[in-house]
Amino acid sequence: MPEQLLGDITKFLPEITLTVMFLVAICADLMFRKSPQIVAGITLTGLILSGAFVLNQSGMNESIFGNMIAVDPFAVFFKVIILMSAIFVIVFSLSSVELQTASRRLGEYYSLLGGLALGMMLMAGASNLLMMYLAIELSSVSSYILAGFTKEAPDSSEASLKYVIYGGLSSGLMLYGISIIYGLTGSLDIYEINHVLAQGSVSGSALAIAGILTLVGFGYKISAVPFHFWTPDVYEGSPITITAFLSVASKAGGFAVMIRFFKGVFIDPSATHLPEGMWASLSGFEWYHVVAAISVVTMTLGNLVALWQDNMKRLLAYSSIAHAGYMLMGVVVLSNEGLAAILVYFMVYLFMNLGAFYIVMVIANKTGSEDVEDYKGIGKRAPFLGVALTVFLISLTGLPPTAGFIGKLYLFAALLNSGWIWLAIVGALNSVISLYYYAKVLRNMYLRSEASEKKTEMIDIPRVQVATVLVLLVPVIALGLYFTPLVEMAQASVKMFGSP
Amino acid sequence: MELFDIVFYVFALITLGSACVVVFSKNIVHAAFSLLFTFFGVAGIYVLLRADFLAVTQILIYVGGILVLMLFGVMLTNKVINVKIKTGTMQAWPAGIAVSILAGLLAGVFYSNWKDAQLPASTVDATTHLLGEMLMTSYLLPFEIASVVLLVALIGAALIARRNR
Amino acid sequence: MAHELIPYALFLPLLGFLINGMFGRRLKSEALIGGIGSATVGIGFLIAGWTFVEMLSLAPEERTFIVPVIDWITAGNLSVNISYQADQLSILMMLIVTGVGFLIHIYSIGYMHGDPGIGRFFAYLNLFIFAMLNLILADNFLLMFLGWEGVGLCSYLLIGFWYDRKFEKGTTGDAAKKAFIVNRIGDFGFLIAMFLIFMTFGSLSFQAVFAQASAFPAGSVVITWITIALFLGATGKSAQIPLFVWLPDAMAGPTPVSALIHAATMVTAGIYMIARCSVLFALAPTTMMIVAVVGAATAFFAATIGLVQNDIKKVLAYSTVSQLGYMFLALGVGAFTAGLFHLMTHAFFKALLFLGSGSVIHAMHEEQDIQNMGGLRKYMPITSFTFIIGTIAISGIPPLSGFFSKDEILWKTFSGGHIGLWIIGAVAAVLTAFYMTRLTILTFHGEKRWGEGKHPHESPKTMTYPLIVLAILSVIGGAVGWPAALGGNNALEHWLEPILERANNEMHLIAPGHDPMEYALMAFSVGIAVAGMFLGYTMYLKKKEMPAKLATSWPRLYRTLLNKWYVDQIYEASVVSPIQVGSEKVLWKGVDVGVIDWTVNAIARLFGFISKYARMAQTGVPETYVFVFIVGVVTIIGFLALK
Repeated sequence: MPEQLLGDITKFLPEITLTVMFLVAICADLMFRKSPQIVAGITLTGLILSGAFVLNQSGMNESIFGNMIAVDPFAVFFKVIILMSAIFVIVFSLSSVELQTASRRLGEYYSLLGGLALGMMLMAGASNLLMMYLAIELSSVSSYILAGFTKEAPDSSEASLKYVIYGGLSSGLMLYGISIIYGLTGSLDIYEINHVLAQGSVSGSALAIAGILTLVGFGYKISAVPFHFWTPDVYEGSPITITAFLSVASKAGGFAVMIRFFKGVFIDPSATHLPEGMWASLSGFEWYHVVAAISVVTMTLGNLVALWQDNMKRLLAYSSIAHAGYMLMGVVVLSNEGLAAILVYFMVYLFMNLGAFYIVMVIANKTGSEDVEDYKGIGKRAPFLGVALTVFLISLTGLPPTAGFIGKLYLFAALLNSGWIWLAIVGALNSVISLYYYAKVLRNMYLRSEASEKKTEMIDIPRVQVATVLVLLVPVIALGLYFTPLVEMAQASVKMFGSP
Repeated sequence: MELFDIVFYVFALITLGSACVVVFSKNIVHAAFSLLFTFFGVAGIYVLLRADFLAVTQILIYVGGILVLMLFGVMLTNKVINVKIKTGTMQAWPAGIAVSILAGLLAGVFYSNWKDAQLPASTVDATTHLLGEMLMTSYLLPFEIASVVLLVALIGAALIARRNR
Repeated sequence: MAHELIPYALFLPLLGFLINGMFGRRLKSEALIGGIGSATVGIGFLIAGWTFVEMLSLAPEERTFIVPVIDWITAGNLSVNISYQADQLSILMMLIVTGVGFLIHIYSIGYMHGDPGIGRFFAYLNLFIFAMLNLILADNFLLMFLGWEGVGLCSYLLIGFWYDRKFEKGTTGDAAKKAFIVNRIGDFGFLIAMFLIFMTFGSLSFQAVFAQASAFPAGSVVITWITIALFLGATGKSAQIPLFVWLPDAMAGPTPVSALIHAATMVTAGIYMIARCSVLFALAPTTMMIVAVVGAATAFFAATIGLVQNDIKKVLAYSTVSQLGYMFLALGVGAFTAGLFHLMTHAFFKALLFLGSGSVIHAMHEEQDIQNMGGLRKYMPITSFTFIIGTIAISGIPPLSGFFSKDEILWKTFSGGHIGLWIIGAVAAVLTAFYMTRLTILTFHGEKRWGEGKHPHESPKTMTYPLIVLAILSVIGGAVGWPAALGGNNALEHWLEPILERANNEMHLIAPGHDPMEYALMAFSVGIAVAGMFLGYTMYLKKKEMPAKLATSWPRLYRTLLNKWYVDQIYEASVVSPIQVGSEKVLWKGVDVGVIDWTVNAIARLFGFISKYARMAQTGVPETYVFVFIVGVVTIIGFLALK
């Protein structure tokens, strides 16, 4: 056993790197109080190093530490997404006026970002219910603190407190569900649980209730309706960098752990009568109907409520709820095709959503406002930001030639191929609704001009920020035109350890 | 009804009764003290289930640590601000209905097939040794990750509590 | 080897576009802007030339190279790659496009001197070359379509380059829009053809489609429809009846644009496309007949309009339409080689004529009316001399290039048994010789008819050198297709044979032999060309009162020709007005406002209403959240329990 554990350490290098980086960052923060950039640098280095180890894991398909963590292409894909967004968020944070003016020590901010990333990475690989719970908890605890980081802003403390209450409730319910599953099957290991369930001796209704209670924990992480209530308040109250991070990486982690849970536990590995790439659900618990219903409610509510938002952060918060709804559609179809579509969507979503948040931040740095009304005339005052935000919003709507279109295209193709036509129609209608509120921002930027004279001067943006926007903007357009490599990468990444 | 059952119901009664006081009492100090009995009741049930380590931990951490901390918190704030701290309930009826439906559903779960429904053999072994071994082997990773979670929580607590600069 | 460099021939103009497009305003030096623009195309020409040399060293059947760049789209069973196909046909086109394109880029440095938008101009020109090379080098229909759309876009941008200048009744912007919209109709045909091809063959790659085409019998319905749709696309891009109306208006753009896009390269895209799809067309005799008739009709029709126009560029524009008609006539009767041969020679002499006219316009300070010219020969000798060479070449006087290609078309038409089409073609040849002579004489000979304020002068060297090169090409260009009847070996025909072999076999054309009839017809062609030129010479230099007399004797015919057979007016009355009225009264006020807007607004109000209440759930009170949370869990479990 010890030899086995020692051997597994080499396959756990990305996470170990992050842990070490986290500890070093804390110590560095104590030594260099005046210059948080050092801690930022350490965190950034750790993330990049960890990313290198993750890339080194590509092609591995193993389970380590006694089936606690899977190191498979699926996990690697999500780890890449999480690390990329963490790196972007640290770069964002370096130029955030909101954070610099907060009378807090930024050193802890950066080190906690590293801890948050660690939690999400563990979510991507966890294949034991206990591990899943701990990973979710690690990322949640870090998020609570980061959400309330600008404590002076009343919104921020309130956001943090609500987040804690809500997180506590959902992890309580989730733990309850996990304990029932343990009671029913006698194991926490998803492969063993699957094995027991496949024998068919477990009561369907008890399993269903336990499954739903566990789903609550995941639903809360990806902010699916009706477990989404924390999202708007927290997204609005948190520093915008954290909002951006939560909207991408936290969702990625949540999706990864949820998909692994459902696919690992409830899919019949021995079904052979199906076409290549399709899954068969174990009888007794028709969870995909629940996920379909949640997905419809999530995207519809997210889009409808977004229609009325006049704060950009809140608007993007609801829009990100809607996007979680779109991605849930890919889980419903029970096939590798749907899973690949989710992966494609996530990679695209990473760039377009981070881009939109970053521009909101850059504009807020200069104008001090996140109000949609204050975007009047931005198209003229900051032409580059205006064009970039336009591209990001068009991509979020899902119109060609942007990457967002490709993401939606593959999702809808997967739905249609497996016969979920009504769900595809609902998804398409929702895209139409979403156009309305994204277009509202565009209208304010270009078609309406600011009445008062003083707000017509040009907004200057530092070169570094222009470059950051470009780094996000180029993939959004490039992946819209040339998407084959991404799609191939996603198709190769649907492989999970222990699943057909 | 055997002795085991009698003892179980006594502990269950203590737990539930004191928990009701926690929920319904408007005086927060009373609520906090009743929590003490809830924790004890649960510890008793653990002992009955031969989870000796858990029972001791329950008393050490919940009673010895968390509860005392809560009482300190309540009493100190009460002293400082000099107001009576009270709790209240909102939307009691709808919440009651929802919770009772949930409870009913969960009750249904208990009548389903549980794995290893029988109690373990009557020989009383200390579980501590076994637990320690498990934590160092099969559950090594969760054990380590839990320590990271605690570290993050510690930093967070310090961050939130600390005065500015 | 050389063919592997072909992607760079495309990439460099794109790079030039990006540089000039993004930094054109900041680059102060016109020489640098023009240098970047020209060099990228020049290197493209070198690559084309080198690839050509490489091909020469190989056996004829090995002369096809596929150069893959990236896998572009893989979705379901649709797989489209960005990869380029260099073979005998596309290398010919590439040589023409990059060669003539390079000369015109050089010319533009002089022509656009002092224009504040010169960076933008070269950026557009480079983008055009990029798109055009995509069109001709694509190895599949989708990439070709991308190039097809791209050249249309560049044409639009360049016609409207001086977007606020007056042009006829509107601005050049209106002319650009007209070109764009008319081209859209043709593009629609191309798109339909592409859908049909994908449905029928399950692929869009040329090689796969043509390989499968043999399985279809001649005259098969689906192939006929595909080719008709493709031909509709060709009529739009190559300005044939009924979609030719945009080309004369396209003369609103700067003259180098007219030479490059609207004479030498883009408008020949339709011919190239049909030659590329010759396998398909050969299987559709009905379409071939349509192509031949439309081509002959256009050749005649446009030539008649050219007789009476007074704008120097308009005459050349109608001449272009007419010459393109010749090429379609050739394709339609199955003489693909002859069509491509004429495409090449036409690219030389028509680019020459346009650049010459540009030189004149430059010298006359934007004067384009030939009634206000005359006697320019003394002031601009090089322009005048090269222009006359162009005129002789297009009229079909041996041994200049135009004679060989035009004669080959007429001979193939005649020998194919299409006597009626041959007569139309011959008449058009007379008319061509006549109006070109008229144009030359009115511009360069006789007494000067311009006002005092103008001081015509010879153009700078950047402009005259390209003229000289093109003049030389116009003279000797016919050599590549020197017919066997005159002791040549028709190198072009042999060169293209591997590409066109299957189509030629399908068409069962008579083998080229020594037919005495061929010599007779050759003599006849020369005769009518000389006759046309003599007539022009007499009417405009010797008996100057004759044109006016003729106009008064047949006033109705004269006015019909002057007004271009009233085609614009007919389109206006039959297509444009009904669409405008219909779209305003029915579609806009009725359908759009009444039905669609109302429905959309109603739905928007409904959603607004729902969402107003939906967002009330977000109260900000944690207790409510928790309550809804629990209710949600209970509901989901209940939902499952009831299922």
